[in-house]
Amino acid sequence: MSLQVIDNATCTFCGCVCDDIQLHHDEFKIHKAKKACVLGTAWFLNHTAERKYPDALIDGKEATLDEAIEAAAEFLHEADMPLVYGMSNTTCEAQRECAALADQLGGLLDSHTSL
Amino acid sequence: MYWGGNPAECHPRHFTKYTIMQKSKFLPRGRKDRTMVLVDIRETKSVKASDIFLQVRPGKDFELITILRALIKDQPVGDDQIAETGLTREVLEDLVKRMKAAKFGCMFFGMGLSMTRGKHMNSAALLTLAAEMNAYTKFVAMPMRGHGNVTGADVMMRWQTGYPFGITFNRGYPRYNPGEFSTVDVLVRGDCDAAFIIGADPGGTMPQPAIDHLKRIPTIVLDPHVTHTSKLARVHITTASQGIAAPGTAYRMDEIPMPLKPALKSPYPTDEDVVRRINAAISRKPFWLPEGSQPQMLTAQV
Repeated sequence: MSLQVIDNATCTFCGCVCDDIQLHHDEFKIHKAKKACVLGTAWFLNHTAERKYPDALIDGKEATLDEAIEAAAEFLHEADMPLVYGMSNTTCEAQRECAALADQLGGLLDSHTSL
Repeated sequence: MYWGGNPAECHPRHFTKYTIMQKSKFLPRGRKDRTMVLVDIRETKSVKASDIFLQVRPGKDFELITILRALIKDQPVGDDQIAETGLTREVLEDLVKRMKAAKFGCMFFGMGLSMTRGKHMNSAALLTLAAEMNAYTKFVAMPMRGHGNVTGADVMMRWQTGYPFGITFNRGYPRYNPGEFSTVDVLVRGDCDAAFIIGADPGGTMPQPAIDHLKRIPTIVLDPHVTHTSKLARVHITTASQGIAAPGTAYRMDEIPMPLKPALKSPYPTDEDVVRRINAAISRKPFWLPEGSQPQMLTAQV
């Protein structure tokens, strides 16, 4: 089967966010990342579309996504001072939702920048 | 000028794509038209790419920046003060001369500056140095961001709350105070009683007392992998990795937004989707303030 090609793909491994990568991929994995550096190549080639991990874990036991979302909402709602932290390896769209989450909870909002 | 960073190994394409190699209208010879200065405590692989390497004594960055700020204004600096930084007056005077002669100077500072003795005071000093250089020529300074979209997090929080990080909503409106509301401090003091971690692995990077507190409280982790933090968390949700299987936007370290072009279809939901669903689940529960005292919410603008 021939590989599909994506031109000018964006690499989000480091802060450079290079946007000129050529990806050669099939349904399951990326086979080649042209123009990417060593770090970017490892980033693209090591992620696959496989189901490597369970959908969710609650107290170390496998759970469904719906159960995990309900449990997360319960823990955060119960807390007096919840913390929303991270947001580095995620999209701006998800970050916006995180800001809304902290706002709704009356909690703390922070990123890697403060480390 | 790169200060306390090792782009050759940590941002391999930074030289070729953004800083020293590109040919341009005003710098037609590319690398030959530029001078690169590297300031670090040891010889890294980036030294080979630099024209001038200044090996500063560990923990003396703030002193060195302060001396440079004095030298550019021709203020007197003692020999013993220069000796403390591990450099010589000759080298520093040559650097100051080159900085003033430059048409456009750019400083990039890494964690070697911002995470060592002096911390944010070092960054503040370097930004002041860059600002003061503008009395002589054009100078700018920019942090070298490590993780993919950490710049996006700053931009997004600034847009939504007015502050870049270290924010609390506990009075119903955003307040900013790093040191009080920044994560490491909050965790080490044991202030928070639940944690929601997304796109980060504090279990692998934070000081032990902070990790211990994450173990004590209910921690929720969203990550494409089962990480160190997932192992100590009460809830872990696997999500699609950004840019590979999840679409969206990521900010480059100079605050240019880039669209992501995912190549794969993940069996997992995106971060955005999961956080939105958690938000919806929480909004079905009673609000945390007593009835009738709800503050006006920031609504996500599209």
